[in-house]
This record gives sequence, structure tokens and C-alpha cells, in this order.
Amino acid sequence: MRTPVKKIVTAVGASVALMAAGHASAEIKIGIAGPMTGPVAQYGDMQFSGARMAIERINSNGGVMGEMLEAVEVDDVCDPKQAVTVANRLVNEGVRFVIGHLCSSSTQPASDIYEDEGILMITPASTSPDITERGYELVFRTIGLDSMQGPVAARHLISLKPERVAIVHDKQQYGEGIASAVRDTLQQAGVEVAMFEGITAGDKDFSSLITKMKQADVDYIYYGGYHPELGLILRQARQAELDAVFMGPEGVGNKDINTIAGDAAEGLLVTLPPSFDEKEENQALVQAFADKGEDPSGPFVLTSYAAVQLVADGIEQADSTDPFEVAAALRSGSFETPIGTVQYDSKGDMQSFEFVVYEWHSDGSKTPVN
Amino acid sequence: MATHSLKHALFCAVVTLIIAYPILGLDLEARGTSVVLAGADTATVVSVLAAALVVFVFQLFRHRILGSLGTMPSLNPFANREPMPQDKRQRLETIALVVLVVAALIWPFFVSRGAVDLATLVLIYIMLALGLNVVVGLAGLLDLGYVAFYAVGAYTFALLHQYFGVSFWVALPVGAGLAATFGLLLGFPVLRLRGDYLAIVTLGFGEIIRILLNNMTWLTGGPNGIGGIPDPTVFGMEFGRRVKEEGNVSFHEIFDVAYSGSHKIIVLYLIALVLALFTALVIRRFTKMPVGRSWEALREDEIAARSLGLSRTAVKLSAFTIGAFFAGFAGTVFASKQGFISPESFVFLESAIILAIVVLGGMGSQLGVILAAVAVIILPELAREFSEYRMLIFGAAMVLMMVWRPQGLLPMRRIHIEINKQE
Amino acid sequence: MQDVLYFLQQLINGLTIGSAYALIAIGYTMVYGIIGMINFAHGEIYMIGAYTALITITGLASLGVAWLPLVLLVALICAMLVSSSMGWAVERVAYRPVRGRHRLIPLISAIGMSIFLQNYVHLAQGSRNIGFPALIEGGFQFGAADSFQTSISYMQITIFITTLICMTVLSLFISRSRIGRACRAVSQDLGMANLLGIDTNRIISATFVIGAALAAVAGLLLGMYYGSIDPLFGFIAGLKAFTAAVLGGIGSIPGAMLGGLILGVSESMTSGYLSGEYKDVVSFGLLILILLFKPTGLLGKPEVEKI
Repeated sequence: MRTPVKKIVTAVGASVALMAAGHASAEIKIGIAGPMTGPVAQYGDMQFSGARMAIERINSNGGVMGEMLEAVEVDDVCDPKQAVTVANRLVNEGVRFVIGHLCSSSTQPASDIYEDEGILMITPASTSPDITERGYELVFRTIGLDSMQGPVAARHLISLKPERVAIVHDKQQYGEGIASAVRDTLQQAGVEVAMFEGITAGDKDFSSLITKMKQADVDYIYYGGYHPELGLILRQARQAELDAVFMGPEGVGNKDINTIAGDAAEGLLVTLPPSFDEKEENQALVQAFADKGEDPSGPFVLTSYAAVQLVADGIEQADSTDPFEVAAALRSGSFETPIGTVQYDSKGDMQSFEFVVYEWHSDGSKTPVN
Repeated sequence: MATHSLKHALFCAVVTLIIAYPILGLDLEARGTSVVLAGADTATVVSVLAAALVVFVFQLFRHRILGSLGTMPSLNPFANREPMPQDKRQRLETIALVVLVVAALIWPFFVSRGAVDLATLVLIYIMLALGLNVVVGLAGLLDLGYVAFYAVGAYTFALLHQYFGVSFWVALPVGAGLAATFGLLLGFPVLRLRGDYLAIVTLGFGEIIRILLNNMTWLTGGPNGIGGIPDPTVFGMEFGRRVKEEGNVSFHEIFDVAYSGSHKIIVLYLIALVLALFTALVIRRFTKMPVGRSWEALREDEIAARSLGLSRTAVKLSAFTIGAFFAGFAGTVFASKQGFISPESFVFLESAIILAIVVLGGMGSQLGVILAAVAVIILPELAREFSEYRMLIFGAAMVLMMVWRPQGLLPMRRIHIEINKQE
Repeated sequence: MQDVLYFLQQLINGLTIGSAYALIAIGYTMVYGIIGMINFAHGEIYMIGAYTALITITGLASLGVAWLPLVLLVALICAMLVSSSMGWAVERVAYRPVRGRHRLIPLISAIGMSIFLQNYVHLAQGSRNIGFPALIEGGFQFGAADSFQTSISYMQITIFITTLICMTVLSLFISRSRIGRACRAVSQDLGMANLLGIDTNRIISATFVIGAALAAVAGLLLGMYYGSIDPLFGFIAGLKAFTAAVLGGIGSIPGAMLGGLILGVSESMTSGYLSGEYKDVVSFGLLILILLFKPTGLLGKPEVEKI
């Protein structure tokens, strides 16, 4: 009812997958794993839209080494348990390249399976440093790390000369990871962190937490997590007349925060990847998205696009569809993508990635700060 | 009568419209920064109207429809058959079981990897359901927090491995034993509660365990769960691509076969099969022992059983502890199969699914419970294309089964002694 | 002074949530009192009430209706209408055919219904959190302007007063009206009431309808108070409300109110003085403790074991 088009696409995709199983290896299967449903499905939409567009454009240019790319889409609901289930399903379907997952806490357990089964994975959105810390050969990403983003946020807070800062997180790998990075940088600079507290994702009543922050008399609040909870915190803080400036990572930078928080979202500070869609050389691509009625401005659309393109370029470069050889090619080469020139270090992280501080407005637009 | 049924039918049709139209026909959509209301497509509106019409017609001719259904010849040709003589039945059952076990041992070598993986999951649910069957089916104690013991087993293995590098075979008895201890400790105070109050307390206990696992981030990783849980080894052989533990050897190197991801899956399946058989046999044994007989006695009539000298606490505790033990068992296998666990795997819905399996199978009946576990886990997987509607259908099926066949697929048969008829 | 104000603020937070829990708890307590089953789907009825209210409010806004009392009244009526129809239908479809069977059967049927309704809304409306407009804004402040101020928002006052009104009306209804008297008779002895000419089916339906209507009131109020709704939020709220009903003594209406308030306050005090992460542990722990020492709850009547 909600998205008949998506259902038809999935159904067609599934039947195509079934038919393709008969005559194998005519196509290169690309698994796309992210949340299609659940509280952070907005980010999943960005991921799927970017990856689909890349596959479409690569196929219309003759595919990779003469073979077409074929998407196998799975929904992990941003839940670690489901992520493991869908990762196993991708293994069973014979997928050898995966774009995903989105949430760090899903990517981490899924990557164990991919590495073990010899599947190459590029996450367009997971920023937790742990994911590439384990010496895995087949794990890459097209986004920066919490250890880059946290300090950017913290340095911006320090420049605002805060008296007391409260840090709240949702205890998930992504939220807590980035909150800890912010706390460490703040404490090194001698800023008083008055509170460091976890909440439960999915909660709706934050009145007690807000009262506590009011009591602690903080003037800045950093939230590590996603927008459904921060939206509620913003709004309930406004109701309780808590006067402080909020800041969050890219997981909160989404227009849906405005539908929840309303006017209270005005002035929220967000660290985001730079707006790749405003770059000169991407305008043809942006037009292609606009022609399909999609919006390329979300933080993960073009990182997903780039991830698919990297898989294709890696296969061409390695002249093989063996994931290990493609991984070696990705590590050694340098690739031009919509998110800039990508070069990988030995861990599978990009050698440079930038985060920018934006100010969020109540009409859902954003303006760069500084 | 006619006007009454017309009025009733009209009322039912209007109620159908009221409950279906606003939720199905009017979509809340976030457009930009505001929420707007979008009308659903015509097909939805038409189907809502059609549903109301169907309800109207059905309610109007309800008695006639139900009446004609009643006079139809029974769909089940065996319905009125004489029960089979007991010795013949037992012989048939034994043969069927042996054939089943042999088939279960052979088939993973001929089917796809995904099918074997799914079968392992089914076996885990069979263990869980057999364990809960002892508590609910045999002892009649309503346990809504059974998943807590499952979590204890799984987390015991995960934590022991993470901090002490303990392997599957050591963790299996430890996890099951710890779950049983939890069952004993919880059971001691709460088993004097009756019926629904017991259900509520166990539900609360299950939630507390899950929330604690979610909050003790320093120990359990909180919502991020614990990963890297190893697969079982067989005589020190590992089945992964690379050897993870020092001192182990790799299966495909020793036997000099090409590495295949399906070795691991098949081995895990076989281990789960052996453990599930073990569970079934042990519980079967128990039901024939005095303790098993006293579970049923206490379930049927508590006062009579107590006046015959059965200790209520001891009997209930034994059932509760044994049930918890096998949940811990299943938990360890689950942790090993997934390689990753998080509190999300142990939510209330999981307890509800296991309970549904037990009730669906026919409370107390082992074969029925096994059949139900196969049905409940495999049927939704077959309907992959309808994956969005899976849980919707699951919920509806639970209600319909309770309405139409509350005794379950294979209701339990009482053990009875036949007295030879006088010629 | 500041500590007192802080305590007061947490107390207000707790009483607000607690009174909303009490409204939902009524549905559990009345149904249990009459037919002795746990209506697991009640949390979903509350969620559907909240969705209907939001749909109505959005629809009225797009029609240009902006006069607040009218919007609230229409939303309330629509939510109550849809929720009570749902409550009625659920009882007809899933509970009446299995009434009187082994007590596990209605319970499983209720759990199935809960899963069904959750996914029904999930499929129809999507799984995202949808923002709920804050229609009632502003509030009072106490305390010196330069230090901690206790604030009571108009929304909190609305929740509290609405709950009080609903509870009073319901108590009067149960104790004075014909249907109320019949309700009490049925809950004491269903078979006997039937013999005395009370249409028990009708009374049981009425119980479900009343409980669902109050849940819809809670859905509208909490939707506005929290700020967003999603298809899953009924389940947790239902579990909490059920806990409140058991805490106060299941079957007793003042008990539901008391249980709700105790639960709300204990949650907000745990968040306020310990950590918000443990509030649910404390509520369920409290439930277990009370059941162990007073199995029929705070205001419940002791059950006599009949032989």
C-alpha cells in the first residue's frame, strides 16, 4: 500500500534471481543490505537509491567486463540479529559482493560472515572504527570514521566555549562510539563533561533525562545516535524549557527530525559528510537522480553510488570476479568516484575523508557553519 | 429474526469499514518537514469495501452457511476410525521414527546450503519446544519468559568464549547447567503462584534478563551483542576457511578436499540433530518415570495429587528446571550457529513463538511438537515473496488455529492399558 | 531548595506518565476481572487509537480546521470510535469462540491477535516514527529564574485532569448504571449472571469497548506528549499498563489508577536518581516482589481456593 513500486521491484528482483540461478554467472550479483523498514529506514532509502542508480548506469554502459550487475536487496532493519540472518541469505544466494550494511552494529557481525565466506563488502555508512580494526581482507568503506567525525564535532563545541556539556548516546556501536570520541576530545581540552549517559533506543519518554540535564545546568548537549530519539529529546526539552544547544552526528541529519521535533530542530548542529551533490563534476549525476524523482542530497546516497562503482572498477582492474583479487586491486589503485578520489589504506579505510559542521533549520534545510 | 440478523449484519459491515478504512485507506506520509495525509490507491479502497460487503453477506446468511458446512461429509476420512491397537501403533511409530532419523542424517548431503541452514534452526526450535513442553504441556505451568533461559545458555557460551576462550563442547553442559540453576533459583519463590500470576512473573523475569543484557554494556556489549562465537569443533578439527584457535587443525587440509562453506553448515546440522534426538529421548524417558507421571498428576488435579503425598514444590521445580536446562542447551547451539548474539534475539515474541509451537503441536505430545516446530519455522521461509506479510499471516494463523483446532496438530495420547475383551 | 524542586519535577513527570498508564490499564483490569484472560492485544488497540488520532488531526489540518478545541474533540471521537470498534471486533473474532476453553487457548489467541494488529498497522502505515504535532504548548514555571526551575506544561495538566475525569466517570458508570451493575454481576459469577437474565455476551463486549475507548484517549494524549508514534510502541506501553493493573490488583479500577501512578513515579525516580536504563528493571522487579508477597496486588481481593 505504501510503496507498491518498491514491492514490485523486489518481487521482480526475486523472480529474476530465481531464474538466474538456473544459468549461473551470466550476471554479477551485488548484494545491497540495509534497513528498508524500521526506525532508520530513511537512511536505507538513501543507500538503496544510490546503489540502484549506480547499477543502472553501469549496466546501461555495457556492464562490467561484458557482464551485467544484478542487485539482490535485503532488509536488515538495522538490527544486528537480522543482519546476520540476511548475510547468511546472501551467502546462500551466491552473492560475492555486498554494498552494506548501514548501521555499524549490523555491519560488524555481518562482516564476520562475509570475511569467512570470501565475500567483498563495502559499507557506505558505517563509521565505527572497530569494523576495519580486525585485519579483515575483504572489508572496505566509503565513509569516514567516528575517530575523524567525533573530534570534528568536539573541536567545534570547544570553539563555542561551553561551560558544561552533557553527552547522551543510544548505547549502540555507532552512537556510543562517536559519543566516546567526542567526550575524549572535550576532556583533553579541559571542557567539563557533566553527564555521559545511555538511553534505550526506541524509548519515547525522556522527561526524566531532560530534568536531569536541566539540573546539571548544561549549555551544550551532544547526542550520539539516530534521529527518532533525538527528535523526541529536542521537542520534550523545548516543552520543559531546557535552554541548551544540541549537536549530533550524521545519523540525525535527516528531514524526518523536523516532522518530529518541529521548530525545536532549529539551530541543531550536525556533522555530515560534505554535500557531494553540490560539486561541479556531479551535476550530470544529480540530474539523473532528479529525472527519477529522487533526492541525491542525503548523506549516504553518493557514498553508496561510489561503493558500487568501486566494486565495478575493482573488478575491471583485477580482471577477475574473485573477491580476493578485487580487494587487492582496490588496495593498490586510486579511483575516481562522485565522492572524490578514493585510495585505500591497508585496513580498508579511505585515506582521507572530511566531515563538515552544518546548522540544521526548522524547514529541513542546512547551512555550513564557519 | 430476519430483521435482527439484517441489523446485525449491517452493524458488522459498518464496524469493518470503521476499523479498516482509516488505517488502510489514509496514509500518513512524511513529505519534507511535515506529515501529510495521502489517500490510498483505488484498489485498496475497493478491497476495503469488498471486505465490508463479504462480512455483511456472511453475517446475513451466517446460520445457513455454517449449517451447510456442518452437513457436509467430514473432510477427514479417518475421523471416525477405530483407534489402532496399541502394540501395532507402537511398532509403526518405531519404524517411522527410525526411517525419519536415517533420512534426516542423509539428506543434508543432497540439498542446498540454505536448506541445511534452515533445518538447523528448526532443530534448535525443536529443542526449545520440547523443553517448554515439559513445563507447559506436561506440568501445566504457564511460562511466558522461557526465552530468558535460552538467553542464559547463549550468553554463557558467548561470554565464556570471549573471556576464557572456552570451546563449544565445554560450554554446552555449562550453559545448560547454568540455565537450569537459573530455573531452580527463579522457580523456588515463584512456583507457589497460581496460573496467570505465574505467567506474569515469568514474563517479567524474561524482560528483566533481556534489559540487563542490554544495559550491562561493559560485560555483554549491550545492544551491539557479542560476535566471533566459534563453530563446534569435531576432534579438534575446524571447518572454517582458516583455523581460528591455536592447536586446532582444519578439516579441509587434513582430508585434502577443497574448502567448501557447506562443510561447516552440515557438521553443525548433524550436531544439532544429535542434540535434538538426545533432548527428545531424555524427555521421553522422564515422562515414563515417576517424576514425569507426577507432573501430569499435578497438572490434572493439584489437590488430589497433593493429598496422595506428592510434594507440589519438588514436582513443579523439577519440571521447571528440566525445561530451563534444555533451553540452555538450545541457546548454546544457537550462539554457535549464528556466531553472533544480541539481546534482540531474546525478546518476548520469541517466547510467544515457542509457546505457540507447543500449543499448536498439541500440548504434551512430543511428535506433535516436533511437527509444529517444522511447520512454524519452515512455512514462513517458503513464503519468502510474501516476506512482508509473514508476521501478519503468522499472527492470524495463531488465532485461527486456536479457534478451529485448539487441541493441536497431534493431541497427546494418554498412556493407557487395554483390558482384553472377554470372548 | 533546588533538590526539592528537582524531586518535584521528577514527581510531576512520573505522575503524568503514570496516569496515562492507568488509562490503558483499565482495559486489562476490566477484561481480566470479567473473563479472567490477559488481553495481550490491548496495547495494539491503544496504538491504533494514537494512529487514528494523528490521521484525524492531519486530515483536519489539510482541510484548514485550526480551532484547537474542535480539532481535539474530533480527534478524540474518531480515535475512540475506531479503537472501540477494533476492541469489539477483536473480542468477536478471536476471543468469543475460544471462551471457556483451557486458559492457554485464549492467551495464545490474544498473542496472535497482538502480532496481527502490529503488522497490520506496520504494513498499512509503514514502520517509521511519525511526528505527532504538539497541539498544547506552554506551561508554568516555579523557582528562581537563575537556577533550576520546576515546570509543569499544560500538556501534563491536560493528561492528569483527563485521566481523573475518565476515572470518575467510569467509577460512577460502574457503580450506578444498569450496564455497570451487570458488569459487576458478570465479574462475580458469569454463569449465575447468565441465569438471572443478563446478556453476558453483551456485557463482555461492552467491557472491551469501554477499555478500548479509554486506551484511545491515552493514545491521543501520549501521542501529543511524546511527540512521535510507530507501530511498535503499543506493545511496551501495553506491557507497562498491564504491570500497573497487576500491581494495583487486577480487576479493581482504583487499583489500576494506583498501580499506574506507582509505576510512573517509580520509573521517573529511577531515571532521575539512578539511570534511565534501569527503569524497566525496577518496574518489573517491583511487580515480581509485590506478586510474591501479595499475589493479588495492592487493592485486589484475595482469591479463595475452592475445593
